[in-house]
Amino acid sequence: MHAYTDKLPEFVDVLRTMMDTIMTNTVLVGQVPAPTFEEQARVDLFLERLSEFGVDECTTDGFFNPIGILQGSSRSQPPIFVVAHMDSPFGKEVDHHYTVGKNTITGAGVLDNALGVGVLLSLPEIFRKLDLRFESDIILAGVIQSIGKGNLRGIRHLLKSWSTPIRGAVCVESGELGRLNYYSDGMIRCEITCHVDPAQERSQRFFPNAILILNEVINQIMALRLPLKPRTKIIFGTIQGGLKHGQIAHEATLGLEIRSDADTMVKEIYGDIRDIVNGLRHEYEVELILERVSNQRAASLRYNHPLVKAVLGIMKTLGLEPFSEPSESELSIFLSRQIPAVTLGITRGEGYQQTDATMQIEPMFKGIAQILGTIMAIDAGACDG
Amino acid sequence: MNRTWIKTNTFHHKDFCDLNHLVALKRRKGLKISLCLPTLNEEKTIAKEIVIFKSELMSRHPLLDEIVVVDSGSTDDTRDIARTYGADVYRAADILPHLPPYTGKGENLWRALYVTQGDIIVYLDADIKNIHHRFAYGLIGPLLVNDHIKYTKAFYDRPIASVDKTIRPTGGGRVTELVIRPLFSLFFPELTQILQPLSGEYAGFREVFEQLPFPIGYGVETSMILDIYEKWGLDIMAQVDLEKRIHRNQDTKALGKMAFAILKTFINRKISLGMIDLKEELHDEMIQYRLVKGAIEPDIVQIKGVERPPIIELPEYRAKYHPPGAAR
Repeated sequence: MHAYTDKLPEFVDVLRTMMDTIMTNTVLVGQVPAPTFEEQARVDLFLERLSEFGVDECTTDGFFNPIGILQGSSRSQPPIFVVAHMDSPFGKEVDHHYTVGKNTITGAGVLDNALGVGVLLSLPEIFRKLDLRFESDIILAGVIQSIGKGNLRGIRHLLKSWSTPIRGAVCVESGELGRLNYYSDGMIRCEITCHVDPAQERSQRFFPNAILILNEVINQIMALRLPLKPRTKIIFGTIQGGLKHGQIAHEATLGLEIRSDADTMVKEIYGDIRDIVNGLRHEYEVELILERVSNQRAASLRYNHPLVKAVLGIMKTLGLEPFSEPSESELSIFLSRQIPAVTLGITRGEGYQQTDATMQIEPMFKGIAQILGTIMAIDAGACDG
Repeated sequence: MNRTWIKTNTFHHKDFCDLNHLVALKRRKGLKISLCLPTLNEEKTIAKEIVIFKSELMSRHPLLDEIVVVDSGSTDDTRDIARTYGADVYRAADILPHLPPYTGKGENLWRALYVTQGDIIVYLDADIKNIHHRFAYGLIGPLLVNDHIKYTKAFYDRPIASVDKTIRPTGGGRVTELVIRPLFSLFFPELTQILQPLSGEYAGFREVFEQLPFPIGYGVETSMILDIYEKWGLDIMAQVDLEKRIHRNQDTKALGKMAFAILKTFINRKISLGMIDLKEELHDEMIQYRLVKGAIEPDIVQIKGVERPPIIELPEYRAKYHPPGAAR
C-alpha cells in the first residue's frame, strides 16, 4: 500500500457528505449550453464558480481556456494538470435543464462532460475538506473546442503556450467508471460530402444520386486491404442525405474515422480514400469533397509505466475493474508531448450521446476518489522517472 | 401617490451576491431563515431545488436554517425524493390535522407557518427548471440589509416587444397583464409598480405572514399584496429582479381558473375594505366550455375562495410561537 491508496476508502465516505456541492456544480455547469465553438457562457460560469470556491488565480489563457491554479508547497516541482473538456455535443436549441432523481441525474451532456467539469470545479472544496495539500501546483483547466470539429484545439493551444515543464496530467471524463486510458491511436476523422447540382437534373437522363455516389465511395473503401499489424481500422460513423422518399438526393454526407496504432498507416489510408474520392468526382462529374475534421497522433504510456501501475493499484483498492482502450481525448495531446497522463471516468450511466443521458450518483464517489488518488500518486513521483 | 417606490424599492439579485455578508447580517440580527417549497407532483424538479439550496445556502454559506417541503398529496415520488435529499417533508393535511383539509398552494403556505422555525420565511415554487440559489438569496437580501423592508417579491425577465422593436424585459404573465394590472390601475395605482404581483416567489418576516389571511388557492399572491399594503403600506415591500425563470407553461383554460380565483379574492377584499358594495353574493363556479364528440359541454369547476384566517388567531400557533410571557 502507498500513502495515496491508504486513505481512499475513507475519502469515499467524506465525498458522500459533499454530494450536494458536487451535484450542484454538475447541474449548474451542465445547464449552460456549450456546443463546440460556443463555450463562452460556460467558461464564464466556470471561472465565477472557481472564484467562489476560493481559488486565488482564476484566469484564461490566450485561447480562452479557463484555468484555476492551486498553489503547491514546492517551487521546484512542475505543476500537475487536471483537465476536463468544456464543450458538449448539444446545440443551444436543446433543452439543457437537468432532472435530479433519487439516484440519478438526467440531461443533455451530463455524461459528456458536465460531470467531469462539475468535479473539476468541486476539487478545491474537496481538497480543503480532506485537508489534501500538494507539492506541485494543481492546474484545473477546462478546455474548449475539444470534441468533434473542435479537434482538441483548446488543449493543443494550452500546452503549446505553457512555457514550463508539466509533471503529469489527469483527464477527467464523466464516464465510464473503470476506464483507464493511457494510449491513443493515430486518427484522422473526415467527412465526405457529395453535392449534385439540381440544374443538371433536367438535362441528364441518368441524373447522379448523391446517396448512391456515397454508396460507391463506401464500397471502394471497403475493398481496401487493411493490415492486422499495425492494427488499423476504418469506422463509418455517420451518414445523412436526401430530402424525401421519392426525390433523387442532391446532397449526402458520410462521416468516418481512420484509426491505427501507426501514424504512417493512418496517413496512407487517408491518401487511398482521397484517391477514391478524386476518382469518383471525375467519373460522376459531381462535387465530391473530402474534408479532414480532426486528427491526432498515436502515443502511449507503457503498461508498466509507474503512473499506469499506480492507477491500477488505486482502482484495485477501490474495488474498480479497470478496462483500457485507445482514447481520442486530451490524453493524446499530453502523450504526444511526452507528458505522462491518463484519462479516467467518474461514474456509470446510459445514453451518453442522447439528450436524456442519465448518470448514476453513487458510483461517482469512488470515481472522484480515484482521481484524488491519481493526483496524489503523481505528486508522490509516479511521473518523475 | 408614491411613484418613487419602484426606484427605491426595486433591487437586483446581484446586489446581494456577497453571501458571507448576508450570513454575517443574519447572525448579527439573531435570525433564523426557513425555505418553504409547496409541492404537488413535482418529482421532476424538487430534488434539484433542494440539492442546490442545501449546497449553496446551507453547507457552503449557512444562510438557510431549514428546507421544508409542504405537499398537497402528490401521487408521484415528490415526498420520497425530497426526503432522500434531506428536506423536512410534511403532508399539508398532517399539519394541524384537526382542521379540515383543503388542497391549494395557499393552504400549504399557511400550514407551513406552523412547522417552520424561521423568523424569515422564503416561499419558492417547486417547478422552477432553471433553479439557482439567487432565487433565495435575492429575496432574503433586502430583508437583511434594509431594516424597514419586511416583504420581498420576485420579478423576472419576460421579454415583450416594445414599439421601437427592441425586446425589453418588463411585464408580467397573461393573467397579470389582463387581470391584475387593470384592476390595480383602477383601484390601487401605486401597486402597479409591482411588476409581477403574481410571481410565486416571495419572502418575508413571520411577523407579517402570521397576521395575514391566506386564500387556499391562486388568490394568495394577490391577497397578500393587498393586505400588506392595507396594513403596513407600500414601503415595507420590495421587489427583486431574479432574471430568468423557466417553468411549466399553463394553457389558457387553466389561466382562466386562475383569473377567476384572483378576481374573487380581489372583489372580496374590496368589499371588506368598504370600497364596493355588491347587491348579491359572488358565484362559486367557473364555467368554461369544451367540445366533446361534436357537442358543446360545460366544464364547471367549483372555486369557493376559501380563506384561512391569520394564523396568529390559532391558539396552538400562539402557544408555539408566542407563548405567554415571551418577549415579542
